Amino acid sequence: MIRVVGVHKTFGPLHVLRGITLEVPKGEALVIIGPSGSGKSTLLRCINLLVEPDAGSVFIDGVHVNRPEVSAEWVRQQVGMVFQSFNLFTHLTALQNVMLGPVRVKGMEQEAARVKAKQLLARVGLAAKAEAYPAELSGGQQQRVAIARALAMDPKAMLFDEPTSALDPEYIREVLDVMTALAREGMTMIVVTHEMGFASNVASRIVFIDAGIVLEEGHPNQIFGNPQQERTRTFVSKILR
Amino acid sequence: MATEAATGQTVSRPGIVSLGSVVRVAETIVGAVLLILILQWVLEFEIADPRLWSIYWRPFTDGIVGSLGYIALILPVSVLMGFFLGWARISRFRVLAWPVATYVDFFRGVPPLVIVIFASLIGPSLMPERFQSRTLGLTLAALALAFHSAAYQAEIFRAGFQSVHRGQLEAAQALGLKPLQAMRHVVLPQAFRLSLPPLGNELAVLIKDTSLLSAIGAIDIFGLSQDVQQQLIFTPGSDLRWLFIIWTAVALVYFVMTYAMTTILAYLERRVRVRGLETMSI
Repeated sequence: MIRVVGVHKTFGPLHVLRGITLEVPKGEALVIIGPSGSGKSTLLRCINLLVEPDAGSVFIDGVHVNRPEVSAEWVRQQVGMVFQSFNLFTHLTALQNVMLGPVRVKGMEQEAARVKAKQLLARVGLAAKAEAYPAELSGGQQQRVAIARALAMDPKAMLFDEPTSALDPEYIREVLDVMTALAREGMTMIVVTHEMGFASNVASRIVFIDAGIVLEEGHPNQIFGNPQQERTRTFVSKILR
Repeated sequence: MATEAATGQTVSRPGIVSLGSVVRVAETIVGAVLLILILQWVLEFEIADPRLWSIYWRPFTDGIVGSLGYIALILPVSVLMGFFLGWARISRFRVLAWPVATYVDFFRGVPPLVIVIFASLIGPSLMPERFQSRTLGLTLAALALAFHSAAYQAEIFRAGFQSVHRGQLEAAQALGLKPLQAMRHVVLPQAFRLSLPPLGNELAVLIKDTSLLSAIGAIDIFGLSQDVQQQLIFTPGSDLRWLFIIWTAVALVYFVMTYAMTTILAYLERRVRVRGLETMSI
């Protein structure tokens, strides 16, 4: 479903991605871990072209997407994204946030979009908050609306960029539950997270990224229980405490 | 408000006329009337003196019409220009940004009166003889005044755009919105909300700055009133306390025009208010 081949990205003097290659088959939930600054976020952004890769190729559903002939807007419709800081549109209600994409990008009728948005909000457990503005919602609620907003575009895959890192501890569970359900339903996902419980239970594979390269990848049991690389071992021991 | 949030009902938008706004307008009118009564008493004039108004009524009404005409031209032009210049300053096309920065620096550094006089001279002198007219000079001067204010408004809109968090644009892009759609549906509504209060300030200044056009002979309330003042001063036997009446009336006209504009903007501000993002009270 998603294939990344030899992707490089440089920001000024910073060589953030140094030839990343990974593949996510349809229906797989891949978890990416790695120290801060290792390029995890940049990698996700290269997949939906919020960041343009300097070199290498990104394939989505077999289509080579980082080419001038492919419009970035089209690519982003195929892959939903959830941000660490939620980024709900502050001037719109939860319902309007979820409706915006289908109406403006897909040209869906207002009424149809409203019905769909309500279903999605119900699915993330927020049917009662449809008319609330983001500033009236808790972090966990905002992030669940953000997931519904991304799902409203019927994406083929979902990217999660540290979706629980900005949350108070009591709200982390509800967001992870939504993500777990999504993975169980067979959504292809790439999740950057340090939630080890989620990673062990939901991920089919874990990729450890360090200094812009894939240092190690494998089943959660292997990465957490028996890492092969010294740096993976050090990192895992830190996050497992 | 609290019950609405709890029940999750649709937001109630304030109507055009709310009780609160009626009360505010009434307070202002009472205040203005009291101030005029006090001025009359202290300075010993009679605001409705029929002897003055028989001379002044015509220039007074012509002047109001003239001023409103200039405002109707200058205000929309300046807001449109200010908006697009402010946008240009944050444009991803960097080649647009620096000429605008120069433009802003230039107009901020020159007194509007100088700009008005300069524009009235330079415009007609570049045109062929048969197109030259008073109206042309005045129109160009009025536009120059709009350009001057547009420089300030560009900064207001730029600040509005820049106060929208970067993540808002990223989220819009991640949904597949094109840049113009992201601008229209995500960035602009938020930037507009934050730009309104300073914009009201600038437009109030601009309304009053139209009086500068009288320096080059515009038919406006300021210019015509000044003509009447000259006339009175050089008419033997005229009562010079009448001048207080004239300038009280002129001040009142500018006040009403400015107040009407700020009232409209205050209404817009209420319209775009977002629950949960109200300003704090301290």
